[in-house]
Amino acid sequence: MKRLTGSIVAPVAVLALAAGLTACSSDGGGSSEEGGAITVWIMGDTGTAFEELAAGYTEKTGTDVNVEAIPWANLNDKITTSIASGSGPDVIQIGLSVLPTLADAEALLPLDDLLGDYPALAAENFADAVAGEATQIGGQTLSVPWVADTRVLFYRSDVLAEAGFDAPPATWDELTETATALAARGDGQYGYYIPQWDSSLPVVWTWAAGGDAVDAEGNVDFDNDGFEDMVDLYTGLYADGLVPTNSDFDQVQGFVTGITPMLVSGPYLAKSIEDAAPELDGKWAAAPMPKNVDNTSLFAGSNLGIWHNSSKVDESLALLDYLADPEIQLDWYDKVNELPTNKSALADPRLAEDPNVAVYVETLENARVVPLVPNWDSAVGQKLTDALNAIVLTGADRQSTLDAFFAETDGLAVQ
Amino acid sequence: MALTTSAIPPRMKKRRSVTSAGATPYLFLSPAMLLLCAFGLLPILVAAFVSFTDLNIKGLANWSNVQFIGIDNYTTLFTDAAFWSAMGNTAIFVVFGVPVIIGVSLAVALMLNYSQTRFFRFLRAFYFIPAITAIVAVALIWGYLYNTQFGLLNYLLSLVNIPPLQWLSDPTLAKFSVALVAVWRATGLNIIIFLAALQGIPRDYLEAAELDGANSWKRITRIILPLMRFAIFFVTVTTVISWLQFFDEPFVLTEGGPLGATTSISLFLFLEGFRLNQFGYASAGSLVLFVIIIVATLVQLKLRKADDEY
Repeated sequence: MKRLTGSIVAPVAVLALAAGLTACSSDGGGSSEEGGAITVWIMGDTGTAFEELAAGYTEKTGTDVNVEAIPWANLNDKITTSIASGSGPDVIQIGLSVLPTLADAEALLPLDDLLGDYPALAAENFADAVAGEATQIGGQTLSVPWVADTRVLFYRSDVLAEAGFDAPPATWDELTETATALAARGDGQYGYYIPQWDSSLPVVWTWAAGGDAVDAEGNVDFDNDGFEDMVDLYTGLYADGLVPTNSDFDQVQGFVTGITPMLVSGPYLAKSIEDAAPELDGKWAAAPMPKNVDNTSLFAGSNLGIWHNSSKVDESLALLDYLADPEIQLDWYDKVNELPTNKSALADPRLAEDPNVAVYVETLENARVVPLVPNWDSAVGQKLTDALNAIVLTGADRQSTLDAFFAETDGLAVQ
Repeated sequence: MALTTSAIPPRMKKRRSVTSAGATPYLFLSPAMLLLCAFGLLPILVAAFVSFTDLNIKGLANWSNVQFIGIDNYTTLFTDAAFWSAMGNTAIFVVFGVPVIIGVSLAVALMLNYSQTRFFRFLRAFYFIPAITAIVAVALIWGYLYNTQFGLLNYLLSLVNIPPLQWLSDPTLAKFSVALVAVWRATGLNIIIFLAALQGIPRDYLEAAELDGANSWKRITRIILPLMRFAIFFVTVTTVISWLQFFDEPFVLTEGGPLGATTSISLFLFLEGFRLNQFGYASAGSLVLFVIIIVATLVQLKLRKADDEY
C-alpha cells in the first residue's frame, strides 16, 4: 500500500505539466544524440539481438544505432511520457494493436512522400494483411511492416493418439468432440485451454464463424451471428468442463503435463515448450486453426515507424530499408524466431524446413489484424474477455452481459 | 504529552518575541515548503484543473486538442458502474483491513514485548522483514503460494483432503487473498510503532497494578491500551489512508481482476489514466479520492479525545 497522498494525482499532473511545458518550447529535437547515432526502441527482450542485427546497418552506412529495449509491460507508460515530453526515439517498433494509439497522438511521421526512394519498403513486398493500406491510419502510411506473429492450434499428438485421434481437429465440431474425449481421461484432465486474458482468440473465432468485429461503416460492432457462434463455442467449452477455470493456469505446464493437450497460441509457445520440455520433441505439433466457415487467424506482429520529430529521418528510413531486406528478415528469424513480413522471406524454403513454421506461414496467408482502434486492448479487448469470463465463470446472464458489452464498445471508430 | 504554554521556559518566550528573528523560521521551513508545494500542492492543483478538461493522449501531444468540459468528468464518474464497483471494493478493504491490521499488529507487539531476550529481538526483525521487501518479490512469492495448480497453499489443503481453492481466480476469495498480502506487508511497520509505544510505558504503573492484584488482561485493557492511545490513533489514521489508496497488491497480483473484483479506487484511476489514457477523467476520480481521504482523516481527528487525560 502506498502512503503518499496523491500517489495517483501526482504522475497525472506531472505528465500534464510536462506536456504544457513542451507545448511552449520548440517542437524539434527528438532524443537523438549529437554523434549521429539513431535511437531505436525495440519491444520485449530482443534488444540485444537487435543490436547484433543493426551492426550490419552501421557497417553499411556508418550510422550508429542506439537500441533501447522496452518491456511490453512498460510500453504504454513509455509512450505516454515520451509524447508528453515531446522527445521520443528515432525509430520505434510498434505492436499492431498500439499503432492507432500512436497515430491518435500524432507521434508518428507520415511516410507517404518519403518511401518513393526506398523500393524495398514498397507495399507489394509485404504480406497483404499488413502491407500498405492495411495498416494505414486515416489514409496515411505511418509505419512499415517488420515482424509477423499469428495464432495456430498446438496439440499433443501422443495424448490425442492415445485417445484415438490420429489427426488434430480440423473443424469446430471436431474440436469439441476431441476435447470432450480428452477431458474424459480422468479427474483433473481437460481437453482444451482458453487463456482468460487473451482477447484475440474470441475475435479470431468470430472471424472464423463468418462474423466481424466492425460494421460496414467502420465502427466497432460485435452484434452479429458469427459473434454469437463464437460465444456458443466459448461458453460451451466451459459448460462441459473441457477447460480449466482458474485464471492462473500455466499454459506451458498444462501442455507439457498433458492436462490441457490442445490450445491456440502463437509461435512463442513453441519456443517455451521446447525450453521447458525438450524430451517432448516429436510428441506435439502445430496445426492450422480449426475451421468453422473458414479458418481465419490473427495477423499480429509489429511494424516500424519513425517518431514525428526525429531529426534523423533519412538515416531512419535507411534503417527501415535495411530491415525490410529478405535476408535480414530471415537472419532475424534465426536469431529470435520472429517471423518475417517480407513476402519473399516468408516464401523462403529455409522456413518451410520446420513443419511447425510451415503451418505458421500458411496460417499467415489467411490472417487478419485486429481492428485499428485506439487503445484496442484496454477499450475493447479487455471488455470482451471480461464479458465472456463473467458468463462462464460467475454465471452472469448471457444476453444482458453481451448487451452491456455491445453498448460499451459500439461505435468506437476504426481509424 | 502536548506542551502547554506554561511549560515553555520564560527565556524562550522572550526570544520568540524578538522581531528581528521574524524571517529565520521561514528560512528554515522554506526548503521543505518548496518541496511540498512542488510535489504535493502543485500536482493537486494541476489535477484539479485537468479534471475539468478532456485531456487524453491526443491532448498531451498537442495542447490545442484539449477541451474545457466543465464538470462532465464528474457526472460521468458518478454514473460509471466500474467506479462504484471500485468504491465498493475499497470500502470492503477499509472496513475489514483496518481493524485486522491494528488488531494483528497490536497483538504481535504485546507478545514481542514480553521479553528482551536475543530470540525476541530476532523475532522483531523477522516481523519487520515484510515491510522492507520489494513488492515485486512479494508478488512473485505470493503468486506462487496462491497458484491453483502447484501453489503451496493448495498443496497443504490437499494433505487434509480439501479440494484446491482458486485463491486469485474466485472473485470473492481474490479480495481476501490480496488483502491478506497487504495485511502481511503492513503489520511490520505498525508492530514497530506499537512496540516503541509499549516500551514508553513507565514500568511503575504496571508494577503498582500488579501489587493491587490486577491480572494481565486487566493490565492490558486498563493501563497499556489507554496509554497507547496516541500510537493507536496514529496507526489508525495512516492505515485508513493506506487502505483508501490500496494499489500495489492488486496491481501486481491480479491487475484488478478477476472481473474487477480486486480493483480498488486507486487501481481504477491508474487503469483509466494510464491504460485508457483518459487523464482528465482519471484526475476527476483522483480529486474525489483526495476529498474522501481528507474527510476520513478530519473525522478521525475530530473523534479523537484529548491526549492529556492521563
